[in-house]
Amino acid sequence: MTLSITRRSAAVFRAAMFRKAFPHPNATIIPGTTPAPGATPVPSTTTPPNTTALPSTTTARNAPTHRKPRRSGRGPQAGPRPTRPTGPLRRLLDMNLPYQLLTFAVLATCWELYAGVRGGLLLPGFAETVRATAGLLGEAELWRALYVSNQALVLGFALAVVVGVPLGTALGRFRLLERYADVHLNILLVTPMAALIPLLVMSVGVGTVSRVVLVALFSVVMVIVNSRAGVRQVDPALIEMARSFGAGERTVWARILLPAALPAVMTGVRLGLGRAVTGMVLVELLMVSDGIGGLILTYRGLLKAPQLYGTIAVILAEALLLGAAAHWAERRLARWTRPNPSRTRTARSQR
Amino acid sequence: MITIQGLSKSFTTRSGERVDALRDVSLDVGENEFLTVLGPSGCGKTTLLRAVAGLVPWDGGDIAVDGSPVRGPGPDRAVVFQNFALLPWATVLDNVAFGLRMRGVGRAERAERARSLIATVGLEGCEAKLPGELSGGMQQRVGIARALTVRPRVLLMDEPFGAVDEQTRRLLQEELLAIWEEHRMTVVFITHSMEEAVLLGDRVALMSARPGRIAEIVPVRLPRPRSRDVGGVARSGEYAEITAYLWERLRDMHAEHRPDRAHRPDEVAS
Repeated sequence: MTLSITRRSAAVFRAAMFRKAFPHPNATIIPGTTPAPGATPVPSTTTPPNTTALPSTTTARNAPTHRKPRRSGRGPQAGPRPTRPTGPLRRLLDMNLPYQLLTFAVLATCWELYAGVRGGLLLPGFAETVRATAGLLGEAELWRALYVSNQALVLGFALAVVVGVPLGTALGRFRLLERYADVHLNILLVTPMAALIPLLVMSVGVGTVSRVVLVALFSVVMVIVNSRAGVRQVDPALIEMARSFGAGERTVWARILLPAALPAVMTGVRLGLGRAVTGMVLVELLMVSDGIGGLILTYRGLLKAPQLYGTIAVILAEALLLGAAAHWAERRLARWTRPNPSRTRTARSQR
Repeated sequence: MITIQGLSKSFTTRSGERVDALRDVSLDVGENEFLTVLGPSGCGKTTLLRAVAGLVPWDGGDIAVDGSPVRGPGPDRAVVFQNFALLPWATVLDNVAFGLRMRGVGRAERAERARSLIATVGLEGCEAKLPGELSGGMQQRVGIARALTVRPRVLLMDEPFGAVDEQTRRLLQEELLAIWEEHRMTVVFITHSMEEAVLLGDRVALMSARPGRIAEIVPVRLPRPRSRDVGGVARSGEYAEITAYLWERLRDMHAEHRPDRAHRPDEVAS
């Protein structure tokens, strides 16, 4: 709810700024569409009272609109919106990227300014970090570290999915299993996983196995919990429908439960991936000095702050990339949850 | 065609209370008969239908379809669900063909039979759409087509038009009647609307609640084909009379649960 309001006001604000910056030759700012204070349409004394709520639809720019009027409690937004100008600039302003880049630029500037005042050996500026990152990307050391780390990530994450999806879906379907597992799952959900690292290293050792297990432990809970929720929320009428046509338990799984749970399972996989990356770096930082985490420790020891920052930037970039890939896969596999893409925008903004 | 003998089923509510959903229900449905089941909400009419469909176990009594006892869902019966129960990720074509798929019919025949039923219910051109892109009335057309593709001898309809608006409901009723005139089959149709029960049914089985049982079977001797058109049976005095009679009975049933509103204080007191 909060999100949608923010989005809406952002859109309104954007539209207003756009009109201000690029006024249409014969455009007038229409009261009732701008959020400017005092722009509330004031009913004229000559207008019959029953028409005051609706701004005249014969206003030149209002006429061609086909949009639904927004339902909103705020007066200035009521009534039909003017058709918004279209074009490359409009499309650019509708995307999220420009805004993200803008906040990034602001943060980078602040960083650079702060580093200019307080910086030194331990705090590189933004530009210096960028240079160091570029330099790192050309070094074999970084790629080797990435390879080692991602080995643990891939294996551990795969393990989490292979174990978590069947376990989670089964928990969602079978009440008895759920009774056995619930308490353990809750413990796993609230335990700070980092606390398990020493325990794991002592029992499994400092090798790859230990890192793989930890990555798996980090991510498996998310996969289980979401898969379970996915199966639980399947409409029982669908199961009954399949049974009415003679489907047995196996067919119900294949044709109803798994397809219906897929979007939730994919959400679990995406969230699990994020936790897997956390686990990967954490275990290397805290215990098994290897891979990308090991690299961070090395640079810290050598007081190579720009390289240290660069390594972190590389990790962030990887996490961002993986997250985007998982998000893309999730949306692709769960298309039916948004049956009509052209309608979603309206639906969201009217919620 | 369907023989129900002394059927009873009870369940325990969350508060531990024992409720008779059905008590000693006996009912015969003839071959190619259109039977509507009418009753107040919570009278067990849906439970009755689910029992005939073989979807729920019951405590006592027997159900037989065409002489063979019901032990579970069977190929002779198909169900149309109140909330459509369509697969949201599957296209209209796949949804309609779903029953055939469950019955092991090959892909080519599935598609062919599904397409012909899609045409029957007037959804040509929507084959590739997802249920979420259809209106409620169109969704239930998919549900009806899905049930008909398996060529059931008995069609079990659980308040199929309860979730659509009044105008769509009337259209669907007329379409259902037209389909049934052409492909006669035994239909058990659950409803809570008096008008719907009378317009569609050969007989109306009136159920009472708590315990759920058949209170009365009201024959509807209106000529077919029936319609709401001018001169149609829905304009006749007999139609109005049966509808009014059913409402009277139903109102009394509701009143029994509200003693202060009872029309027959002597009976309530006893």
